[in-house]
Amino acid sequence: MFKLIGRRLIQMVLIMLTASFILFVIFDTPEFKKRLAIQELGGFAVSALDETTYNEWLEKKGLNVPFYQRYFNWMGNTLTGDFGFSYEKNRDAGPLVWEKLANTGILALGVFGLMIPISLILGVLAGMKEASLQDRAVSFISVFFTSIPEVATAIILTVVFALGLGWFPTKSAMISGFSFHELILPVLTLVVYDFGYVARMTRASMAEVMTSQYIRTAVLKGIPYSRVILRHALRNALIAPFTVIVLQLNWLLSGVVVVEVFFEYDGFGKLLLEAALFPDIEVVQACTLVAVAVAVISQIISDVGYTFLNPRIRFG
Amino acid sequence: MSSDKRVHPKVTEAKELMESGRMSRREFVRTAALLGVAAGTAYAMAGLPRPAFADSHGNMPFPADDPNAKEGGILKVAMQIQKVEDPATFSWVEMGNQARHMMEYLAMTGPDNVTRPMLAEKWEANDDLTEWKFHLRKGVMWHNGEELKAEHVVWNVTRWLDADLAAGGIIGLSTYSAMLEEHDTGEKDDDGEPKMVKKMIPGSVSADGDYTVVFKLKKPVLSVAEDCYNYPTAICHPSFKAPLSDNPIGTGPFTLAELKVGEKCILKRVTKTTDGKDFVYWGGKVYLDEIHYYNFDEDNQLVALAGGDVDAIYEFGVEQMELAKSLPGKVLAAKTAQTLLLRMQVDQPPFDDPKVRAAMTMAVDNARAKALVFPEGGSVGENHHVCEIHPEYFKLPEMKRDVDGAKALLAEAGHKDGLEVTIDVGNTDGPWHQTLCEAVRDQLKDAGIKMNINVMPASKFWEIWDKTPFGAVAWTHRPLGTMVLSLAYRKGVPWNETHFDDPEFEAALDDAEATLDVEERRAKMEKVEKILQDANIMIEPLFRPVYTMTSEAVNGYPAHPTQYHQFNKVWKS
Repeated sequence: MFKLIGRRLIQMVLIMLTASFILFVIFDTPEFKKRLAIQELGGFAVSALDETTYNEWLEKKGLNVPFYQRYFNWMGNTLTGDFGFSYEKNRDAGPLVWEKLANTGILALGVFGLMIPISLILGVLAGMKEASLQDRAVSFISVFFTSIPEVATAIILTVVFALGLGWFPTKSAMISGFSFHELILPVLTLVVYDFGYVARMTRASMAEVMTSQYIRTAVLKGIPYSRVILRHALRNALIAPFTVIVLQLNWLLSGVVVVEVFFEYDGFGKLLLEAALFPDIEVVQACTLVAVAVAVISQIISDVGYTFLNPRIRFG
Repeated sequence: MSSDKRVHPKVTEAKELMESGRMSRREFVRTAALLGVAAGTAYAMAGLPRPAFADSHGNMPFPADDPNAKEGGILKVAMQIQKVEDPATFSWVEMGNQARHMMEYLAMTGPDNVTRPMLAEKWEANDDLTEWKFHLRKGVMWHNGEELKAEHVVWNVTRWLDADLAAGGIIGLSTYSAMLEEHDTGEKDDDGEPKMVKKMIPGSVSADGDYTVVFKLKKPVLSVAEDCYNYPTAICHPSFKAPLSDNPIGTGPFTLAELKVGEKCILKRVTKTTDGKDFVYWGGKVYLDEIHYYNFDEDNQLVALAGGDVDAIYEFGVEQMELAKSLPGKVLAAKTAQTLLLRMQVDQPPFDDPKVRAAMTMAVDNARAKALVFPEGGSVGENHHVCEIHPEYFKLPEMKRDVDGAKALLAEAGHKDGLEVTIDVGNTDGPWHQTLCEAVRDQLKDAGIKMNINVMPASKFWEIWDKTPFGAVAWTHRPLGTMVLSLAYRKGVPWNETHFDDPEFEAALDDAEATLDVEERRAKMEKVEKILQDANIMIEPLFRPVYTMTSEAVNGYPAHPTQYHQFNKVWKS
């Protein structure tokens, strides 16, 4: 087990090195530097600059240093916990990323808090009796909602609940501090999109368990049906959904760009998009490291959790 | 001001012109105000009723106090929040807006396009418009308790013209470029040419006593007062060190309480100076306690207003007009000279052939293209970059669309089987750029010209806006028609994106720029506009209106043609 975790962590470091290197190469091109200059000084002003002044500007920003030197500097700084500086937001990248990560964490908490019970209950209900009416209904609803893209859900929810009924605010910028009220629409949007997928996975797993022989034996022995489901079927049926749910963490981190941008929610996805467009290289780098770390760690959690839930699986 | 002994001779001249009916009363007011006559006096001389904006109240640039106004409150505005580093190198209007409530200007151009004295109480020019004297208001207090002095302004101007600062937005303005000269650095560039830098001509700006600043220009400039209200020309205290957000010392009624780029910018009223005394603002009553800017992307601002998050927004695009009309609140529109040029580079094939360019413009009916994109407001362009709202606008004979003529010209130019061109579009001002290009494309098709539209991200477009042979480039509003022509169509100026070069045009423009009399200047503009139109370097279908919106509770919110925010007299009911 520890060997597995160690291997995964080494893998993580390698992915981080490769990803950051590739990003550095891309962002080091003269085109990207010019784009940064345009963001800083304005499009019209940059074309009024002569070569010398432009080079002086590069020097002032520390962008004229050879690429490998900047890369090693950056690596050194990162190892000491200094994630660099955001040109766009004009502050240290580290605290910036943590702050936005915390915001997305709150969003994720809301999504999980709602999505896990809904999808597990629906999935179990559907998987209990394959091809029954409740199975068909749940499957239909799940597939239906999962196939609507988040941006469409976001628009529909905003039009109906914010502009129409006026129950919720239209945007979630939280301009007067944290507000639970403003969190509801983005959470709903994500839940509507995501619950169907997890419910379907739970259903498949549950259905498979229900056809296994020990369940048939238990039923034939005359154990009450509810006891069969709760004591015998559930534990085994939840192994697959557990993995799926943990892997949703990853999706919540970088897959929520659309929702965060639509609702102006100041989270990780919005930060990543803005930084990539700016181009705010050190923020993109910091975000990438975080995203890779979360991806690998969630995988470790799901693997380790799996061994606990399913004793048949052992890691060599 | 009416007690002034010296009135500029051109004012007297202008008054005669007005009285003889050759100059409209409104133009007289403009001209007189430009020459330093207080707007209130000018309105009186013209026999016009004073609008709310004329200074019937102590030579102030702001609208008159509203007796019903309620003091206090917080105004929340949705806008993109930028960093506030150095006003002289501000590159976006939003930066200017965040700083404008703290740092003020010598002059102020109001929403009515008239420029009035602000930190200066008046100004005067010599007869050939090469020497301008700005008399500062007495008793203007900095946030640190000091009084604003002429030497402070001299310090600012000298700093702007320092080559190391790279204040591209300032040295592009005619006033300041008329204070610069080329210097040989003694070094050679890669091609062996001597490296030149622009330096301020010594003595171009000087203090005459504590309250008078003198500008000496190497050529006549009409727009000195206007050039003092361009967003990078805010007057900072000489102790200024970038970033401004760390230690903002200005003369305005507000100061920065909190700035988070991409999130919010909180401005609060200044009550105490930094040395603990009571702060007295020179500009009279200011109603709001606080101004809060919150970051919303342009597409989201209207919805944020609808949801009650904010009281006012920076701007919404024409594509959101139907939504805006369906919401409660006040939709405000400003007529502007903001425009989109589908401009061609005269030295790049196929546009190096004048016949090709002529065919392109001939094939397009500008009015029809405009009607498709901005059915409400705005004005039709005439391919010479001067707008009907400019005082010196001369109405040239109407252009006629001529598809057969265009085809014939194309055939002559050797494109008998049609021509294929590609335009680069960056939608830097919103998706209407693309829509407008599509409208033009459909018209060009009739003349056998196939125009491909290459849409690219705005940031990418800024890299090539002045380099692409054929591009759709947005130009902002400027109060006078001559201002933009000098920036864009003189040989060798940095923003000459068309590579247009015509000594005759420049001579005609020089002549117009040295002419104060609007009627006379307008007559001279005929030649200027005609040369530019006949050169066929651009298809300019329209000048667009800008829209903004506030909730019902906001009063006195200005719809400014350049979206400059000045909230001294804004109040919430």
